[in-house]
Amino acid sequence: MTLPVMKNFINGEWVESKTTTFGDVWNPAKGEKIATVPYGVKEDVDMAVQAAKAAYPEWRATPPLSRARYLFRLKEAFEENFEEIARVLTTEQGKAIDDSRGEVRRMIENVEHATAVTTLMTGYTLEDIAKGIDCYGHRQPMGVFAAIVPFNFPGMVAWWFLPYALVSGNTFIVKPSEQVPMTQAKIFEIVEEVGFPEGVVNLVNGSRDVVNGLLDHPDIQGISFVGATPTAKYIYERCGATGKRVQALGGAKNIVGVMPDANVDDAIPSLITSFFGCTGQRCLSGSILAPVGDIAGELKEKFIAAAKNITVGSGLDEKTAMGPLAGAQHKERVLSYIEKGIAEGAELLLDGRNYTVPEYPNGYFVGPTIFDNVRPDMTIASEEIFGPVVSIVNPQNMDELVELVNSRNYANAACIYTQSGSAARDFKYRVNPSMVGINIGVAAPMSFFPFGGHGNSMFGDIKGHGQEIFLFFTDMKVVIERWY
Amino acid sequence: MPLINFGSILNFSIELETLDEQFYTAALNNPASAAQKSVFEQCLNDCKKNQKILQRTRRENVTEMILENISDFTRAPFVIETRNPDGMNGQEVLEMAGKLEERAENYYLQAAEKMKAQSEVARILKQVAKKRTAHRNSLAG
Repeated sequence: MTLPVMKNFINGEWVESKTTTFGDVWNPAKGEKIATVPYGVKEDVDMAVQAAKAAYPEWRATPPLSRARYLFRLKEAFEENFEEIARVLTTEQGKAIDDSRGEVRRMIENVEHATAVTTLMTGYTLEDIAKGIDCYGHRQPMGVFAAIVPFNFPGMVAWWFLPYALVSGNTFIVKPSEQVPMTQAKIFEIVEEVGFPEGVVNLVNGSRDVVNGLLDHPDIQGISFVGATPTAKYIYERCGATGKRVQALGGAKNIVGVMPDANVDDAIPSLITSFFGCTGQRCLSGSILAPVGDIAGELKEKFIAAAKNITVGSGLDEKTAMGPLAGAQHKERVLSYIEKGIAEGAELLLDGRNYTVPEYPNGYFVGPTIFDNVRPDMTIASEEIFGPVVSIVNPQNMDELVELVNSRNYANAACIYTQSGSAARDFKYRVNPSMVGINIGVAAPMSFFPFGGHGNSMFGDIKGHGQEIFLFFTDMKVVIERWY
Repeated sequence: MPLINFGSILNFSIELETLDEQFYTAALNNPASAAQKSVFEQCLNDCKKNQKILQRTRRENVTEMILENISDFTRAPFVIETRNPDGMNGQEVLEMAGKLEERAENYYLQAAEKMKAQSEVARILKQVAKKRTAHRNSLAG
């Protein structure tokens, strides 16, 4: 069987990459190749940038409300193709179909939010800053922007940026993860149907060469990135060196505290979602479970029982709650962390190694895994595992919990389960991570609030989506005016 | 099979509406059901509309923050062995339709209770239950 070969979408057309190097795309539930992806080259990037640059003057001069109308049409087209996008996403990424549906929903919400451009892109003005002199500031688009996006959310993450850049009058290039390029290809088929002017929105497949091509290109104004922390840091530094705007969101070690007064029965379902949803491959996933004081016994017992009941299987099966990991290499990486946990002396309470799903013997499955008696200095408590592996650390009071959270210097979110408003307030006030969940295990801001972490989880000033994203994609031009 | 989460409840709801659509389509082709034509047409149209409403509800209300598991809810009590109404007489078709409506009404009311944390979803499920109650009353004539 001939596998489909991913193409680039440049200047309103599907074109083949100029590369001679290709990689494989896999169905992680079956361990089967399902497509071929080009590892694009600098010429591909140049073509896309030229197209985006040429399209910019006319697109910039298109009234904001007219630009927003393209997004209204896009939203409708996404709704019509909702289920198909979700199924492609699960096929190549592996996550449970409801997780994919949730991801597509979040993607569309960003399109919806961006249509508020006529309110969110406005500048401001002040008369008489000196006698007879007025001053006003316009927010102006800047040119070509690009997004480099990760394998764990192949649909949504590009759309944390793209709609806002476009509706502000910029043109755009997306570089999907080479591991999961099919979802964005499906999405761009819909983008094509909507009929944006040629060159306004472009897609280039590839790996390191495409990333470096985008980072170094003099005609790109800014880069939005989501991925692993070392890469985020690299992107931030390289964009600094080439004078680009940058927002680079990295990995995380998120801690979920459970106070002695928490309602454990109510908390368990959302804790399970936090730690095992998307097979732990979320930068907002809980990673360290921190029962405070003597609630640890009850919590562990109920948490382990619930984890054992998780239905693991192909994400396309509606009864599956947790799919496979996204790739074979990634599975090996997660397993190596489990081995490290054992070697460093943590107690393995639930072992997800050697997990098999009979219908899918070649899938990249790792079952729910839980370590107890984890010390904060252990590798599994310090590094991002990005899999269904939980480390239980048992702080004795709020001060120890806050110290644990703030000592990682590496988190997107911190969550607390409690019935006490006072404890919740104390926690949210003192912890460093930028997204806080109170009786919420996945503290994921919706499109109208900013998304981004703290410390080594975020490089740059302006986070993903929210109102502030319009600042990233525009420059304030200030006019000081006097008439005689 | 357990209905364990948002997705499985909405999928089973859509499945019920699809099966009932098939039943009413066949029933309308059965000459023995001529007396019930208008009520069966209403039921058929509502099944089609309900599918769209439920699909939209699934699309618009799936939120990763609250994809939490649901317990103690299964398909089994709501699965009815539906005979093809082609060979039935008018009374048999009517009785089968009444059973389907009663089953659906019960299911949607219980599903709404299970989904009460997502109030919009619960509201839609209750709305569909209400339509099914109306069908049952019409069939009881």
